[in-house]
Amino acid sequence: MEPAVNTRTARWGSYVVAFLITGLIFATALYASNYFNNRRIADIQATQDNISIDILSLETQFDLLAEHSCADISENSVLSNEIQPLASRLSYLESQNGVNQDELARLKRYYSLLQIKDLLLMQQVANKCHLKPVFILYFYSNKGDCKDCTEQGYALTGLSQKYPTLRIYSFDYNIGLAALQTLIDIHDVKDEMPALVINNKIYYGLHTMAEIEKATPELAKLATSTATSSKTK
Amino acid sequence: MTIGAGFTYGLLFISLYFEVFLLLAYLRNRFSKAVAGPVAGALPRVAVVVPCFNEVRTVEGTMHSLLSLTYPHELIEIIAVDDGSTDATLSALRTFESDPRVRVFTKENGGKHTAMNLALANTSADLIGCLDADSTVAADALMHIAPVFDNELVCAVTPCILVKEPETMLQHMQNVEYRLSIFNRFILAVIGSVFITPGPFSFFRTRVVRELGGWRHAHSTEDMEMALRMQGAGHLIANAPRAIVHTSTPRTLRALFHQRVRWTYGWLRNAVDYRHMIGNGRYGNLGIIVLPSALISIAAGIYFFLRIAVNALISLKDEIIRIEYSGLYPHMSFDIFFFNTSTMMFLVFVSVGLIFALICAGSFIGTGSRRPPLSTPLFLLFYSFLVPLWLGTAVVRAVFKTGVSWR
Repeated sequence: MEPAVNTRTARWGSYVVAFLITGLIFATALYASNYFNNRRIADIQATQDNISIDILSLETQFDLLAEHSCADISENSVLSNEIQPLASRLSYLESQNGVNQDELARLKRYYSLLQIKDLLLMQQVANKCHLKPVFILYFYSNKGDCKDCTEQGYALTGLSQKYPTLRIYSFDYNIGLAALQTLIDIHDVKDEMPALVINNKIYYGLHTMAEIEKATPELAKLATSTATSSKTK
Repeated sequence: MTIGAGFTYGLLFISLYFEVFLLLAYLRNRFSKAVAGPVAGALPRVAVVVPCFNEVRTVEGTMHSLLSLTYPHELIEIIAVDDGSTDATLSALRTFESDPRVRVFTKENGGKHTAMNLALANTSADLIGCLDADSTVAADALMHIAPVFDNELVCAVTPCILVKEPETMLQHMQNVEYRLSIFNRFILAVIGSVFITPGPFSFFRTRVVRELGGWRHAHSTEDMEMALRMQGAGHLIANAPRAIVHTSTPRTLRALFHQRVRWTYGWLRNAVDYRHMIGNGRYGNLGIIVLPSALISIAAGIYFFLRIAVNALISLKDEIIRIEYSGLYPHMSFDIFFFNTSTMMFLVFVSVGLIFALICAGSFIGTGSRRPPLSTPLFLLFYSFLVPLWLGTAVVRAVFKTGVSWR
């Protein structure tokens, strides 16, 4: 390379071109990020559609129960396996910048509705087939007024891993969905997050895994039944 | 968008803008060849000063490399100045006095600038340069520098500095950093904005140095101050990338930290002394973009490091809480859904990609090969976490004007 030397005279054209290229890089980064966020939203929509089909299938199964025995429908087959990953995906999107908030809120409302449908049908299946599942309804708030919601979410995640057949439904208290409001009214849940409804009994404040296990002796049976079925297999 | 996010994007924009600006200048130079090359003429008389303070381990290698220079013997003198060494440096230097090109001076310790000024007072050479006693030069290095002074407007020429025999991982990372510096030094010469004339083998027109009053202490970074003073006086500083110098670099983090705190401290204090140039259109590219960007890069380095450190601590705290409440330990997940595709992440990738391009360009300028050193990934991954350590320390010390020592 030959020696380099030059006067320091500013070439304003260079500044403008560099500015335009830098602006273009920023615009491209913004576009790429939006593109992948939209892909994620489309992914969640597809998953929710699958869950919707699952629930329709569940309803159909339930209607058929009148003509078939409970042996034809298992407790584990009705709840879509996709619901739990969906919750973590929605939670991840909530933590990301640049996500269309209206679209995200719509997805969350849809998710809440699917959970309520699942809950109602599970309750009916349980009554009809004399099953004794444990339901936990978890109400949280994302408005910054719930300092223990993160920890409560972790504790419930731990419980769901420990007891795979445990039914945990989580709801954003402020999502603004009429069906959810009705559920809140039915259980008379006050605006004090986090709130847990475990087999129709309300608990406010943070509850650890141990405290929930202590308050719900039925959980021990779930664990036992899981262990037994595993051994049988 | 929060204020913090806006500030982060602002700093990222400025950093990217500067990288793009330099790359554009490089590409324009490559295609238009609008670079002032040397004009053939009679070679000038040259004095090479070797300031030494306790350099007995390395000074012999330095002297041997100078004596091997392919420069007419009658036109070069080597002035070795023992700056009050307490080891055997002086006796090591005396062994070279038998060569008619070598003169040895000794004095009380006063710092590098005093050694340079002593040599300046005792030479009649047209050009005066310096070679730190921890560096060696390629035999033809001076032949690539001296002719550049045929351009009467040029008053200083900087060389191409490579790391001498890197051994430790830290030295290999510095090897990559020096490739980046080769690019910077070259491209700053292309836009007329060199603001450092590094110790290893930079040369100056003796007359101009005398007119400017010789070297100053300049917060232990006399090479930076001299360049700023020359720029202020309207002189041109060139870069001769074929003039190869190999310099020893710190082997340990402690030594590197000390060296870089001194450099950054000196730069900050000199920036205060020459603040009239910053943002001043009279100084062209140097005032408008180079000096402001150099200062902002220090702020950006510290800010990004703190931001990453704080986020990492918050994530660690969250993870501990998660384990405590869920009883679940973290496990590797490769769900593509959770890959970070934020705008910030894309911009960071682009920025790292541009730095990689600059390293390749630096390698091409310095070695003729576009292939960067093998340790480039190490540099890109880890070095940016080291730099803020000395940047932060230097900023604090500059604020409190603590001063810095050479060793």
